[in-house]
Amino acid sequence: MILKGQAITKTYQEGRVVTPVLKGVDFGLEAGEIVALEGPSGSGKTTLLQILGCILSPSAGHVEVLGRRISDQSSRAQAELRRRHFGFVFQQFNLFPALTVLENVEYALNLKGLDGPVARREAEGLVEAVGLVDRAHYLPRDLSGGQKQRVAIARAMGGNPSVILADEPTANLDSQVGSQILELFRTIAKSSMRGLLVVTHDPKVRAIADRIVSIHDGLIQVV
Amino acid sequence: MVDLGLKTLLHDRTRFFITVAGVAFAVTLVLAQVGLFVGLLDNATITIRKASADLWITSHNTANVDFPQRFPETRVDRVRSVPGVQRADNLIVTFMSVATPSGAAENTVIYALKDFKAWNLPWDLKEGRVEDLRRGRYVFMDEGATRRFGSFRTEDTREIQETRLRIVGQTRGAQSFTTNPISFMDYDLVQSMQPDFLGGKTTYILVKLAPGADLEATRRELQRRLPYNDVFTSAQWAKKSRDYWVISTGLGLNAYLTVFLGCLVGVVVVAQTLYTSTMEHLKEFGTVKAIGGTNADIYRILARQATISALIGFGAGLAIALILVPLAGRAHLKLILPLPFVLAVAAGTVLMCLAAAMLSFRKVAGIDPGLVFRS
Repeated sequence: MILKGQAITKTYQEGRVVTPVLKGVDFGLEAGEIVALEGPSGSGKTTLLQILGCILSPSAGHVEVLGRRISDQSSRAQAELRRRHFGFVFQQFNLFPALTVLENVEYALNLKGLDGPVARREAEGLVEAVGLVDRAHYLPRDLSGGQKQRVAIARAMGGNPSVILADEPTANLDSQVGSQILELFRTIAKSSMRGLLVVTHDPKVRAIADRIVSIHDGLIQVV
Repeated sequence: MVDLGLKTLLHDRTRFFITVAGVAFAVTLVLAQVGLFVGLLDNATITIRKASADLWITSHNTANVDFPQRFPETRVDRVRSVPGVQRADNLIVTFMSVATPSGAAENTVIYALKDFKAWNLPWDLKEGRVEDLRRGRYVFMDEGATRRFGSFRTEDTREIQETRLRIVGQTRGAQSFTTNPISFMDYDLVQSMQPDFLGGKTTYILVKLAPGADLEATRRELQRRLPYNDVFTSAQWAKKSRDYWVISTGLGLNAYLTVFLGCLVGVVVVAQTLYTSTMEHLKEFGTVKAIGGTNADIYRILARQATISALIGFGAGLAIALILVPLAGRAHLKLILPLPFVLAVAAGTVLMCLAAAMLSFRKVAGIDPGLVFRS
C-alpha cells in the first residue's frame, strides 16, 4: 500500500464550538489504483485529501506513505514529503499566470530539486504527454479550461510522485473535456503505477475508478 | 531554473513601473541633494586643495577659509626663518563688492598674492596670463560669475570696491561655498584699495616645505613661534573648513535628513507595492507551498523581486542624476557623484528594498497551503 491513513480524526475549534469533520477514518491506496472519493459538500472529503497529502495535520490518527509514518512532522518536513511523494491537481487549476505552460511544469520540477537542461527536458516530456506541445509557450490566460487542467496534471506528474491527489479536477470543465481529462488520469495511473485519489462530485469519475469511497458526516462508507 | 519572482514582477507591468518609479525617485532625490551638497563642500575647500601650499597659517580660531581674519603681514618673515620652510608668502582673502551693469552690487571673494604662479592659483585658466596681474589695476574673474555680475569679456572693465579694474583674464570653477565667485588680484593692489582695513595686514600665510622637511615637525615649530596664529597642514585646514559647514551650520543635518526622507519614500513605495502584490498573489504562494515549496522558497521570490526593483530603480535614478549633472553645471552648480557614494547608495537601495520586502515575509510565513483547495 503506497498511502495509508489510520483512525484519522480532525476537529476544528472556533471559540467554544468544536466541529468534528473526520471521525476516525481509515483509508488505503494501492499503486496503480484509482480511488474516487465522493460525498456531499461539507462531508470532509477535501479535509481528508489535505491530511493524506501532508497539507493538514490530523487531530488524531496517522498517515503513512510507502510504509513511512508522515503525520506529526514539522511543516518543513511536510513540504519535503509533498515534494517527494505527491502531485496535486486543483479544481481551480492554480497555475502561475506569469509562467508559460512549459515553465509552470518546469518550476514544479525545480522545487523538487531538478534544474537546468534536465528539468527542461522532463518538462517538455510531460507537456508532450498531456498533448500540449503546440501550446508549450502559451501563458495560462491563453488556454481553455481543459488545457489548463492538462498543464496542472503535467505539473503534478513532475518528479514521478507515488501519489496524485486531485480535488474536483473536472468541476470547472464541460462534460466532453472532463471525460478527456479523466481518460488522461486513467492512462497516467495505469501506465506508471501511481496511486490516484480523486475527490469528486462528478459521476463520470466512477467510470475510471477502481474503487469508490463515500464519506458522510466524517465517516467512510465503501460503495 | 524558472525565475518565478522575475516573471511575476514583469507580468504586472503597471505595478512594476510604479515600484521602479518610486525607487528611482528616492534614488534621484538622494543622489541629487547629496551630490549638490558634495559640490558645495568641494567649493568650500577647492582653493586649499588646488594651492600648492603644504601648510596654511591663519589667524587664531579662524573658522574656515571663506571667513578670513587679519593679522600683521610681517609675521611671514618669522615663518621664512624656520628651518624646513622653503617658501612662505602672504595671501589675502577678502570680500569686495562688484557693481553690476544693472546698477546692483554683488560680492566677490578676492584672492590676492604677489606671485600666483608660485602657488598654482588660479588653477584653471580660461584666458590671460596671471603674471599680468602685477602690472596694473587688473583682475581675473571666473567665467561662472556672469550670472551674478552680468556678462563680461576679457578686456572689459568692472567697478570693484569703487575702483575701475580691467578684466585681463578668466578662470574656470573658482567659486566659494557661499557660491560667491572668486576673483584674483594683486596683493598690493588689494591693500591699496582697502588701506584702512588691509594696510600692513594679511589673512593667511602659505608655506611650502623644503624637500625632505618633516611636515608635522615644521608645523609644530611654526605653531611654537606663532602663538597668536594657527598652523594647519592643507589636509587639516580643508577638513576644518569642511566641518564648519557640515557641523556648525546644520547643513550636514539637512543632507542627512534628505537621505533619510529619500530612504523613507523608497521604503514606503516598495513596501506598499510589494505587500499589495503579495496579497494579490497569496493563492500562487499557497500553490508554491502545496506543491512542495517552503517559506524559504517564497522569501527568495520576494527578495528577488525586491532586489530587481532596487537595481532597476537605482539605475533609473542614477541615469536621471547623471542627466542633472550637466544641467546643474549650466546653472553654475556642482553636482558631484563620487563613486564610493554612488556604490553606497546602490547598496543602500538594495537593503532598503529588502527591508521593505520583509513586511511581506511575515504575511507569507503564515500562508496555509490548504487555501488552494478553496474556490
